[in-house]
Amino acid sequence: MDQPADGAHVIDFVLLGQLLPVFGAAALRTVMLTLVGLVGGLVCGFCFHALRETGWRMAACVYQVYTGVWRGMPFLIHLFIVYFGLPNAGISLDPFAAAGLTLAVYGGAYFAEIFRACWQSIPRGQIEAARCMGLPARQIFRVIECPQALRASLPLIASQTILLMKESALASVVTYPELTMTAGKVVSAQFVYVEPYLLLALCYWGLSLLINLAARALRARFAI
Amino acid sequence: MNAAVTIPIVSLRGVGKSFGANRVLADIDLDIQKGEVVSLIGPSGSGKTTLLRCVNFLEAYDEGEVRIRGALLGYRRSAAGRLKPETERIISEVRAPVAMVFQQFNLWPHMTVLENVMAPLTLAKAMREDRARALAGEALARVGMSAKAGARPPELSGGQQQRVGIARALAMDPEVMLLDEPTSALDPELVDEVLEVIKSLSRAGMTMIMATHEMSFAAEVSDRIVFMEKGHIVTLGTPREVIHQPTHPRVRAFLQPWIRRSLNNTTMGVAP
Repeated sequence: MDQPADGAHVIDFVLLGQLLPVFGAAALRTVMLTLVGLVGGLVCGFCFHALRETGWRMAACVYQVYTGVWRGMPFLIHLFIVYFGLPNAGISLDPFAAAGLTLAVYGGAYFAEIFRACWQSIPRGQIEAARCMGLPARQIFRVIECPQALRASLPLIASQTILLMKESALASVVTYPELTMTAGKVVSAQFVYVEPYLLLALCYWGLSLLINLAARALRARFAI
Repeated sequence: MNAAVTIPIVSLRGVGKSFGANRVLADIDLDIQKGEVVSLIGPSGSGKTTLLRCVNFLEAYDEGEVRIRGALLGYRRSAAGRLKPETERIISEVRAPVAMVFQQFNLWPHMTVLENVMAPLTLAKAMREDRARALAGEALARVGMSAKAGARPPELSGGQQQRVGIARALAMDPEVMLLDEPTSALDPELVDEVLEVIKSLSRAGMTMIMATHEMSFAAEVSDRIVFMEKGHIVTLGTPREVIHQPTHPRVRAFLQPWIRRSLNNTTMGVAP
């Protein structure tokens, strides 16, 4: 079989090999961004959920506005507001900080709803039993609800983390050189499409597998 | 009898409860004295469970007064004489002598059996760990569940779970126990082990209010039977008056199927 001299194989494995270190570094940046979104989002989401659980009416309103607004608009719009809008208010963030912060607050809205759903899945009777045994609300939250609801939330958190990781691709729009931006750069510099986009797809897929693996390990660790 | 003895442990005066327009409890007057076993019987939806839940304020009654050892439960009187909702802390204090056993057991599945019984002691009563462990051990021994102390509730049969539920209530050293259809969620062959435990409590002088559909058992262990329908107390009296020789036509109609079954089973010694 004669091969065209210009290297038009279906896949150029030499180029693929050359791109690996570039994509490796970019994947690390995507991981960093996702980690910031995950940790920040969990903290943010849990705080809003705990606030709502106080039963204070004002807290329920704050919760509604937060989850409503942040889940009700595309991530890209939030990112634009944070990266291009906040400087007008005197707050300038570099691309990583802007994307990380937006991911955290955006993810937090979803994590809060995950926590709420898992809290509601605890049978009412368990809470009533604790109440009439004299456990104050704070102890019921900590000792009865948290261990069960957090365990139940693990698979949902894993799934939401995968979504966050994919959403982090939009950080490329504010020039943070994570995976998607890196692939785009290679494409525009070398006019090749298949290899960078193939690598890009494989990188995201590989990362999602890692997230699933980590979640499974955590679930096994905290199984009843 | 001196005055202190006659203060009932639980006293209900004109108690009522509505869910929206649906008045599920009305004009309930009932006094429970120390050591008494009182069974609530009646058709499903007659208000038995709601009545029990009002006695420990899991349900906020909206008419009348519930008093535990003379203390008003759930409300306080304002200067103007109006009833105002009481704080959660005070409610907890007033209902401390009351423990409840649930139809669905309501154990905490992420804790072991021993932890289930210990948790209210260490958390709500701020008891020291070793003392709580000893008390929980005693309570589990009383219901014959010591061997399963390390198991988790989902690993147990319904009857065993309910015995743990009873142990959890017992460990709180209550003055009165509320039992909400304690055997209704159990397979028929598991009912007896739970009834046996309840019987041993009554022999030990525990004050109990129990909603039940187990007529023979209610007649056997109770000092008084309360028949309820549509949120009202229709009649109350001794087991003889209410169950064995019912004069009230509604009670007779309600008990008819049970009497017929019992007569068919006389050879098994469960005649009314």
